[in-house]
Amino acid sequence: MNFKHKYLFLLPGLLVLLAILIFPIGFTVRLSLSSWDSFYPALDFIGIENYVRLFTDDARFWEAFGRLSLLSVTTVFLQYVIGFGLALIVWKEIAFQRFFRVLFLIPMMTTPVIMTVIWRTFFHESLGPVNDILSHFNLAPLWLSSETLSKFTVMIVEVWQWTPFMFLLLLAGLLSLPKEPFLAASIDGAGPIRTFVYVTFPLMAPISIGAIIIRLIEASKIMDTVYVLTSGGPGTATETSSFYIFIKGLREFQFGYSAALSLTYLIIMIISFTIIAKILVKLMVRGN
Amino acid sequence: MRVLYTSLKYLAVVLWSTFVIAPFLWAVSTSFKDFQSVTNGATYIPWVDFEPNLEGWRDLWKSPAQGGVDIVEPFFNSVFVTASGSLISIILGTLAAYALSRFTFKAGFIRNGDITFFFISQRIMPPVVLAIPFFIMLGKFSLLDTLAGLIIVYIVLLMPIAVWIMVDFFNKVPVEIDETALIDGCNPLQVFYKVVLPNSIPGIIVAGMFCMIFGWTDFFFSFILTFTEVQLLPVAIVALNSSITPWWSLSAAALVSVAPLVLVAFIVERYLSKGNLSGALK
Amino acid sequence: MNKIKRVSGASLLVAAAIATQASADQWSDKFPHIKNTGDIAGECSYESMSKKDYSGQTLTINTHAVPVMGEPTALHAEQFAALTGAEVNVIHTPAGDLYSKAMVPFQAGQAPYDIVFGFSNFIRDWKQYLEPVPAKYVNMAQMKDVTQSHIDVNSWDGQMIQFPIDGDRHYLKYRKDVIDNPVYQKKYKAETGKELRVPQTWKEYAEMAAFFNGWDWDNDGELEYGSAEVMKKDDLMYAAFFSRSVAYSKNPRVKGGFFFDLETMEPLINGPGFVEALTDWVEATKYVPPGGINFGLGDEINSFGGGQTLFSFSWDDAFVAAMQDDSPIKNKVGAAPLPGSDRVWNRVSGSWEDTYNQAPYIVWGWTAAVAKKSKNHEMAFDYLCFFANDANHQADIAIGRFGVNPFKKSDFKAEIYVERQGWDPEIAKQYADTLMEMEEGSTNRVFPLRVPGVFQFNSAVATGTSKALAGQLSPQEALDEVAAEWKKIVKRIGADTIREAYAIGVALEDAE
Repeated sequence: MNFKHKYLFLLPGLLVLLAILIFPIGFTVRLSLSSWDSFYPALDFIGIENYVRLFTDDARFWEAFGRLSLLSVTTVFLQYVIGFGLALIVWKEIAFQRFFRVLFLIPMMTTPVIMTVIWRTFFHESLGPVNDILSHFNLAPLWLSSETLSKFTVMIVEVWQWTPFMFLLLLAGLLSLPKEPFLAASIDGAGPIRTFVYVTFPLMAPISIGAIIIRLIEASKIMDTVYVLTSGGPGTATETSSFYIFIKGLREFQFGYSAALSLTYLIIMIISFTIIAKILVKLMVRGN
Repeated sequence: MRVLYTSLKYLAVVLWSTFVIAPFLWAVSTSFKDFQSVTNGATYIPWVDFEPNLEGWRDLWKSPAQGGVDIVEPFFNSVFVTASGSLISIILGTLAAYALSRFTFKAGFIRNGDITFFFISQRIMPPVVLAIPFFIMLGKFSLLDTLAGLIIVYIVLLMPIAVWIMVDFFNKVPVEIDETALIDGCNPLQVFYKVVLPNSIPGIIVAGMFCMIFGWTDFFFSFILTFTEVQLLPVAIVALNSSITPWWSLSAAALVSVAPLVLVAFIVERYLSKGNLSGALK
Repeated sequence: MNKIKRVSGASLLVAAAIATQASADQWSDKFPHIKNTGDIAGECSYESMSKKDYSGQTLTINTHAVPVMGEPTALHAEQFAALTGAEVNVIHTPAGDLYSKAMVPFQAGQAPYDIVFGFSNFIRDWKQYLEPVPAKYVNMAQMKDVTQSHIDVNSWDGQMIQFPIDGDRHYLKYRKDVIDNPVYQKKYKAETGKELRVPQTWKEYAEMAAFFNGWDWDNDGELEYGSAEVMKKDDLMYAAFFSRSVAYSKNPRVKGGFFFDLETMEPLINGPGFVEALTDWVEATKYVPPGGINFGLGDEINSFGGGQTLFSFSWDDAFVAAMQDDSPIKNKVGAAPLPGSDRVWNRVSGSWEDTYNQAPYIVWGWTAAVAKKSKNHEMAFDYLCFFANDANHQADIAIGRFGVNPFKKSDFKAEIYVERQGWDPEIAKQYADTLMEMEEGSTNRVFPLRVPGVFQFNSAVATGTSKALAGQLSPQEALDEVAAEWKKIVKRIGADTIREAYAIGVALEDAE
C-alpha cells in the first residue's frame, strides 16, 4: 500500500480532534494544579495539593467510586442479558416483528435529562401511579427515599434507557451471522439451548465485548438520572463519581479541585477498562 | 415444549413492551392535566379520572411572557446542530477509521490500537470540568452562542463513536476487495470511495444513528455555551423546570422531543430487516 | 423578537396634562396587567419609561424558569420593550443552575447577560462582577418603601449591590380547618391533654403533626399527613434546617456570631442547639407524606398546596398555591411566625436557658443584579426599576405563580389580598400581620450566610443533614462531620477572608 495515503485518511479526523481538545485538556491539567474556585478564579500554582487532598482526605470520592462500580456493572450486565434475550427473540419470526423492533429502540432516543423528570413523577411516592397501583396490594415501596431502593430505582431507569443500545448492536450482529454453523448444529441434532451456548454465543463474542465496553464507558458518566431523580440522595446513597465531580465543579465552584478529580477519574477509568477488556476477551472467546 | 418456548417468548416481549411504553403513556396522560389533577393523587384516564385540558400542549407555542416556552426554534436548532455535527463526525471519523483498519501506524510505541483507544477515551471524561476551558476557547473566537461553536464541540463528542463503529465494520470487509480494486488500477482514494464505501452504507447508517442520538440528547454543552441567539431543545425544555414544575407542559415537551428520533428508529429498522445491515457488524 | 410600536411623544404630553386618573387608564388599557391599579406615578412608572428611548439597543437577561420569576421577567420585558423600543432577550434557567450559568461567563471574564437573576445569598460570590445600584435608584420613593431587612439582604456593607425585586421569608403555614376546628380541638385535648392551637414551639409542631398523620381528617377520601418539608438533598433543603435551628441557637443575649464564632471562626454548627433541631428533623421523617424525604420545594408546594398536610414552613409559595382560586383548600389555611422553642442554648455559658425563644430567619429570596461588564447599565437598572415599580409590583403579588412576594411596606395591607385575590379577610389580616411582624417588629433575627464559598458551606450542611435524615448517621455525628468540613473550608479560603465577610452579617444581627 502507498504509505503517503494512509496519513491522508487518518489525519483530518485526528488533527481536528486534537486541535479542539488540546486547549481544554491542557487547561484542565493546569487547572488541577491551581486552587481556582468561586472566590478566587485564577490559575495560581499550588502543585499537587489537590491530588494529595483527594487521595488522603476525600473518602466521599472513593465511596462514590464504589457506588459507581456497583451501579454501572449491574446495569450494563442487566442491559446485556435483557438486550441479548430480546434480540434473540425478535431475530427469528415472531408476530409484529417489525413493530417490536422499532418499539424496543425508542427509549434510547429520549433525552435523559427530560425523560427522568417523567420518571420522577412516575415513581413519586405520594402522587405517582406506581405506588398508587401497588397500594391496592398494600405495598408502598419508597422508590426514591430509601437508601437501598433508590439505587434500584436509578438502575431501573438506566436499564430502560439503554437496553436498546445493546439490543440494536446485538440484533445487528445476529443478523449478520453466517448460516453454516447453524446448519451444522441442527444436523447434529442440537436443541436451542445447546445451539446458543456452542454456536451463537461464541460467534457473538467480539461484538458482545465491544458493546459491553462502550456501554460501561457511557454508564460511568451517569449524571442526569441521578441529578433529577434523587440529587445523589438520600444522604449519599446514589452519589456517583461523576455526580460528585459535578457538585464540586459547578455547584461549589471548586474548579481546581474538580479538575484534579476528573483527571484522576479519567486515569482510573482508562486502566479499569483496559483490564476489563482483557478479562472479557478471556471469558468470552474460549478455545479457538 | 414448542408451546412453552413460544409462550415464554411472547410473554417476555409483552412484558418488556409494557415496561417501555409505561412512562410514555404516563407522560401522555399527564400532558393533559393541571395542578389539581396532579396534586390530588395519581389519576390516569382523561374524562374518566380528571378533566383534560390542553394547557400543557399550548404552552409549547406560547412565549414565556404568557407562561409558556416556545420550543419551535430550539427544535429546529437541535435538528441542524445534530445533523451537521453528525455529518462532519461521520466523514472525518470514517476516513480515520478506514486508515486505522487498513494501514499500519507506528509512532514510537503508539500503534493502531492505541490511536483507536485514544478516540474512544474521549467519551470517558465527564464534561463538567471542560465547561470553563471550552467557554474561554469559544469566547476567544467569538463562537459562543453560535451554531458553529456548538457544532465544533459536538464533533469532539461524536467523532469517537463514528470511529469506533466504522473501525469495527471495516475490519469485517475483506481486504481482498481492496486488493482487487488496486490491481484493477484504482489508486487508494478511489479504492475507498468507489469500492469500499458503497459496501459500508449500513455501517454508516448505524454510526449516523448513534451520532444523532448522542447529539440530540446532549444537555450539558448546549446549556453552558449558549445564551440567547441559539437555544437547543433540551435546554429550552428544561427552562420549564421551575420550583412549581408544570408537569403537563414538561410531559408534552418530552413527547415532542422524542418524535424525530422515532422516525430515525423506523429508518434504521428497515435497513436492519432488509439484511443490508447484516454486513455491518459481524 | 417583535418590532414594537412606539407611543408618540405628543400623545404622552396630552395624557400627562390630564388628571392622574386619566393617564392611569391609558396605560392600563394598553397593558392589561396593571388594570387593577392603573399606572402609579413614580420615576419608573409606565409613564416615565415611555419617555425613554432605547431603540436599537439590546438587553439580555438570565432569569429563572417559567413561571416562578420567569414569567414576570418575560412579561415585564415585553412591556419594557413596548415602552422604550429596546429589544429584550430573556433566558430561562432552572433554579439550581442560575448560579453556574452566570458564574461561568463571569469567571471567564465575559458578561453575556446584562441582568442576572439569582438568590440573594449569591451576593458575596457575585459582587466582584456586579455593578452597584446607583444612588439615583436607591433614593427613589419606590425604593424607600422597601423594608429595611430586604434592603439589608441586597446590600453589602452599606452599599446596595442587588436590586430588590422580591421578598422572601420562612413562616409557618397551617390548616385552619383543623387547628381552629372545635371538634378536633376537643379530640386533641382529650387524647393528649394539650391545647390544639398554632404551635408555639417545634415540639408542639411535632406533636400535632404526628397526631394528624396518616388519616383522612378533611374527609376528601385521601389520607393526610403531618408536615410537608423540603428534605431532598438539593440546593434548598438546608434552609429548612436553618429555619428549624434558629429558635434553639439564636440567643439574643449572645452576640458575635450564629454560624461561626466571629473571633475564632470556629464553626458553631455542631452545637447543642443545632443538634436539637436536627433531632427534631429526623423525628419529622415520621410524619411527612410517603416519599417526603425526597421532597424538593416543588413537591412541598404540591403537597401542602394540594391539601395533603397539616403544616408547612418554608417559602411563600405553598401558601400562595393553597390560596389559588381553584385550590380545594382556599381560605382554609393560616399564616403564623415560625415556631420557637422553650429553651435556647447559650454558647458562652455552655448551658441551656429555659426561656421562650423565637427568631425569624430572614431567608434569602429572588434578587436581580446588573453585571459590571454590561454595556447597558442605565437601561438595565431602568428595567429592574420598572419591574419593581408600584403598579407592576401590586399586580405581580396578586398572581401566585409569579413567585413575587411582598417586600414593600405598602404591601402589608390586608385589603390587597381580600379585594384582588378573594382571600378571607381574617386570613389576609393574619398574613399581612405575620409578615409585617417579621419585617418591622422583630428582633433577634438571623441573616443568611453570605460569605465567600457559601455554596461549599451549604453543600456540606446539605450532605450532613441528609445523612442524618436517611439514618446513616446520628444528628451529633452528622453535624460533627459538617463542622469538620466547615473547618477545612475556612482553612482553604482563609479565616480572615471569611471573617471579614461574616462580620457584616453579624453586625446586622447584633445591631438589634
